[in-house]
Amino acid sequence: MVGKGGAGKSVISGTMARVLARDGSRVLALDSDLLPGLSLSLGAGPDPAQPPLREAAEKDEDGRWRLKKGIGPVRAVRRYATDAPDGIRLLSCGKTPREGLEPIMGSVNAFYRVVHRLEGARTFDDWALVGDLPAGPRQVAFGWAPYAETFVAVVQPTAQSALAARRVVRVARMREGARAVFVANRVTGPADVRHVEELVGESVLAAVPADEGVARAERLGIAPIDHAPGSPAVAEIERLVAALAGG
Amino acid sequence: MKIAVAGKGGAGKTTVSGTVARALARAGHSVLALDADANPMLGVSLGVGPERTELLLGVRQGVEAGEIEHEPTVEGMVERFGADAPDGVRLVVANRIETENPGCQCCGVSPDQLLRELEDGGRTVICDLEAGLGTVLRLAPGNADVVLVVANPTAKALEVARRAVAIAADKTEVIVLANRVRDDADLDAIAAAIPDRELIVIPEDATIARADRDGLAPIDLDPYSPGVQALVALADRLAGAPVPA
Repeated sequence: MVGKGGAGKSVISGTMARVLARDGSRVLALDSDLLPGLSLSLGAGPDPAQPPLREAAEKDEDGRWRLKKGIGPVRAVRRYATDAPDGIRLLSCGKTPREGLEPIMGSVNAFYRVVHRLEGARTFDDWALVGDLPAGPRQVAFGWAPYAETFVAVVQPTAQSALAARRVVRVARMREGARAVFVANRVTGPADVRHVEELVGESVLAAVPADEGVARAERLGIAPIDHAPGSPAVAEIERLVAALAGG
Repeated sequence: MKIAVAGKGGAGKTTVSGTVARALARAGHSVLALDADANPMLGVSLGVGPERTELLLGVRQGVEAGEIEHEPTVEGMVERFGADAPDGVRLVVANRIETENPGCQCCGVSPDQLLRELEDGGRTVICDLEAGLGTVLRLAPGNADVVLVVANPTAKALEVARRAVAIAADKTEVIVLANRVRDDADLDAIAAAIPDRELIVIPEDATIARADRDGLAPIDLDPYSPGVQALVALADRLAGAPVPA
């Protein structure tokens, strides 16, 4: 999930993950944002007993980060991912602490190395992987989502949101074999959908309506699918999941 | 004076930066607007338009393209790679990421470096930071005289704002903006997350929403709308001292 900050990436990725899990998929949710987001939209609480992901990484003799011996993607997910509702596993890259970036460098590096090895792990062949990327093109450009078959660019009906989505889709499509699609979010009617499609220059795969239930969930910091399960927005995200699965 | 604007993506950093820059310029100040986001949008809020914003060259890319031998000074970079925005604001885009593997972001010209090395020299520098906390964490005392932290009444935006305030307050003056406030409940939510601080309220504003939708500067659409007026008042307060003759 990519797009401008505030476009609704976490809400859509968290809800998509929940819908996939309820449909019977095993789901690994990947939060590569240093800021809070996906866990709230998934409805995953903190797990104090969870060992931190930084314990999976160490520095080699040249000071370069690597995964510790014996830790591959399967073990990393088993040991360092947290449980989210509907049986989802959530792996987070670490959250920015107040003291500065250094304390999370181990966690960030472990995360980067784990996601690069997911594709080679047969265990995950039949899992659904849903990644929530931070705002902007940075992580797409630097290969933080090598597992992605499809990049979903979330666009609000604003000029800046469309500009951001167009930019990140341009970068995503430079990747061999990667598909990128646009999804409109917080639309108030067909005119908004047309506005988004004009701004991005192509049609959208889904148009998630502006929804008071989701807005309330966002203010409260809880999962939209728990707070407003029958809402029009959640229904459209269910259709989006089906459309993506249909290729 | 150097002003840096921080907050979660979508909180309204760019709207605040662009509108405060224009208001300062209209009040007679010499203003440099520095876009430090690798996904640069400040041109849109300044009134340059989405199409022209898309054509602006990043200083980093300009220096790397290097048709001239090397542009040694920050002032030279501002002169060479900057663009003119309405009311005489000078707009500089630090860096844009447009390709796969765009090279090490620590090397070459970085947004932090530009903010650090820009002398204010009677000029007001307003810097729209990248979403999140990275640049706030790297900010050294003296790089900015004041950090504006933009908060929205949602759980995620408040968490980012709360941390940005905690990090920045150790280094410099911090002003918290309660943006898109619809009612007392919104303001109470922001006050509860960021207690014991004055909150500058920017009310929810249909003019700003329409400007966002159409890619216009809010101050061009309606300089007297409540949200724009709150930002003009903020600009007056930031300017503080009388305008140089």
